[in-house]
Amino acid sequence: MSSAIRLEDVSRLYFVGDTVVRALDGITLSIEEGSFTAIVGPSGSGKSTLMSLIGCLDLPTSGRILIAGEDTSGMDEDELALLRNRHIGFVFQHFSLLPRMSALDNAALPLLYAGIPLRERRKRAAGMLERVGLGDRMDHRPSELSGGQKQRVAIARALINDPAIILADEPTGALDSATGHEVMDIFHGLNREGHTIVFVTHDNALASECSRMVRLSDGRVADAG
Amino acid sequence: MLGEDIRMALASMAGNRLRTFLSLLGIMIGVASVVAILNLGRSVTESISESFEIGGLDTVNVMPRGQARETMIFTEEFAYDLMEEIEGIREVLPTVSSMANVRKGQEISEGVQVQGVTSGYFPSNALELDEGAFFGPIDNINRRQVCVIGKELAEELFPAGDALGSYVSVFRNQAKSFLVIGILAERDESLGASYNSTLFMPYNTYVQRFRRTDQVGTYVVKVAEGYDATAVADDIEGYLDEIAGSDYYRLFSPATVKEMSDSVMSTFSMFLAAIAAISLVVGGIGIMNIMLVSVVERTGEIGIRKALGASPKAIRMQFLVESVTLSLSGGLIGLAAGTALSFAAVSLAGWSLHISLGAIAVSLLFSLFIGVFFGWYPAAKAARLQPMEALSRD
Ligand SMILES: Nc1ncnc2c1ncn2[C@@H]1O[C@H](COP(=O)(O)OP(=O)(O)O)[C@@H](O)[C@H]1O
Ligand SMILES: [Mg+2]
Repeated sequence: MSSAIRLEDVSRLYFVGDTVVRALDGITLSIEEGSFTAIVGPSGSGKSTLMSLIGCLDLPTSGRILIAGEDTSGMDEDELALLRNRHIGFVFQHFSLLPRMSALDNAALPLLYAGIPLRERRKRAAGMLERVGLGDRMDHRPSELSGGQKQRVAIARALINDPAIILADEPTGALDSATGHEVMDIFHGLNREGHTIVFVTHDNALASECSRMVRLSDGRVADAG
Repeated sequence: MLGEDIRMALASMAGNRLRTFLSLLGIMIGVASVVAILNLGRSVTESISESFEIGGLDTVNVMPRGQARETMIFTEEFAYDLMEEIEGIREVLPTVSSMANVRKGQEISEGVQVQGVTSGYFPSNALELDEGAFFGPIDNINRRQVCVIGKELAEELFPAGDALGSYVSVFRNQAKSFLVIGILAERDESLGASYNSTLFMPYNTYVQRFRRTDQVGTYVVKVAEGYDATAVADDIEGYLDEIAGSDYYRLFSPATVKEMSDSVMSTFSMFLAAIAAISLVVGGIGIMNIMLVSVVERTGEIGIRKALGASPKAIRMQFLVESVTLSLSGGLIGLAAGTALSFAAVSLAGWSLHISLGAIAVSLLFSLFIGVFFGWYPAAKAARLQPMEALSRD
């Protein structure tokens, strides 16, 4: 099996005043295609930093990151934007939906940047919302949805471009455990369809359901699973 | 994509109506004042033009003055000389005039403008009759004592309205009787002359009866069709300077005055519009301010869009379109307000409104330019945001 994601000696330093924060400190890690990986570790251990580097939302201070075999370190902003748009789907802890848009338009947003015409965007977003069980909430604004429903809109949005990789940073963190399990079921279903999934969690029970568990500690890999 | 950007811009404007309105005030006021000033300038110019046209833009008046008679140039033959020397003249009508008292029974009009003209003078100056007839060439040759008088003069001397067919006495040393054969229709003043209280008599009659005490006559030069009256006036001036010298005549041409007045008016209104345009810069700063606030407020949104695959170019475009949509909306509202304002002002003054198409084009182009210019920096700022930074800043 080839690596969907490969990190080679990746470090991310933050310079705050005179002090240097080593959020990630020499991480080398491969994540296989089609795997379902849980990232665990104490708060401040660098989990979110790792996710944003994998998702090309941030650049490492040193080291290389390869997505589907492609080295991202030489890419310019347009190429990174294209990569995020086509290959990566994000699910954030706090949903990160645009408040003035309907569920339908939120879910369709990545298609806008893929240059898909409006009708097609709406059609595909509607299909995706049906799939996550929100067929009857398409015209609702985020403020009119529950936490679980919002997270499902966010998942529909992450899936809309059919990305190979889905990244979720504590997707259940803001949900009660029942809703959290529903969301996890969706992820398991997606994994069975072949998506590579990386998600961050504090919940050991949820983590143990995954095919692999990577433990971070102080910006280093404590247990590669 | 552009359609989507415009939709997003309108949604964001609608989401914050009061703030949008306030930030657009500057550009609205700026555009409104530029449009109002240019419209007003144009309306004033047009109304002045109309009054010139009544006076005849195809006319050049040559008036001998000073010791002109001693030069022996300004004789009746001079009319033919002029026609031969200068190209573009249809006819030259010699006229003479002076002030005299005119009486009918108890009624007396003092200081009436008495003019001796040939019959061609009437059509040339677009004079029309209220009743009666004009005198003709035969009256001139026979030096008949007939006259055509202005409406006001007729009413003054004949309160009963029976002027036509009556005699009036024209005083100059001694009284002479003239038969009233025509009364002019009333008409608007043009360049201070309306002919409403003028008394016209045949040129030869005047010369025979009044020449001894006379004033200097005027040659009314009519410019032929297809020729520029201003150019013909210049030619005549050149010719006269050569043969007589500038001290011996005065030249007056409505077309030349109109040209000057047009250029003064347009310079003046351009000048005022330029001052008003300064407020457009203030308006632009208002737009820039609101866009900067908007970028800061929507940092999270920008982060999300970038995470979902928006390129820097797409973000820059989104904010530029928003800024242009803002400024164009302000410009359109300003255009409407300015037009309404100029309409109100023009109505008060009793002129008719002439919309300056230039003002519309300039104000819309200016709004577009301001949207791009003052939106550029905020949009570039939005485009430069790093997605992770933007996302974690809520
Ligand atoms: N923008 C930043 N500036 C400075 N320090 C940061 C920044 N983002 C994260 N950090 C630091 O990096 C470390 C790792 O953070 P993070 O990846 O968010 O941890 P986790 O998600 O595991 O809780 C923490 O010590 C955090 O304080
Ligand atoms: Mg975190």
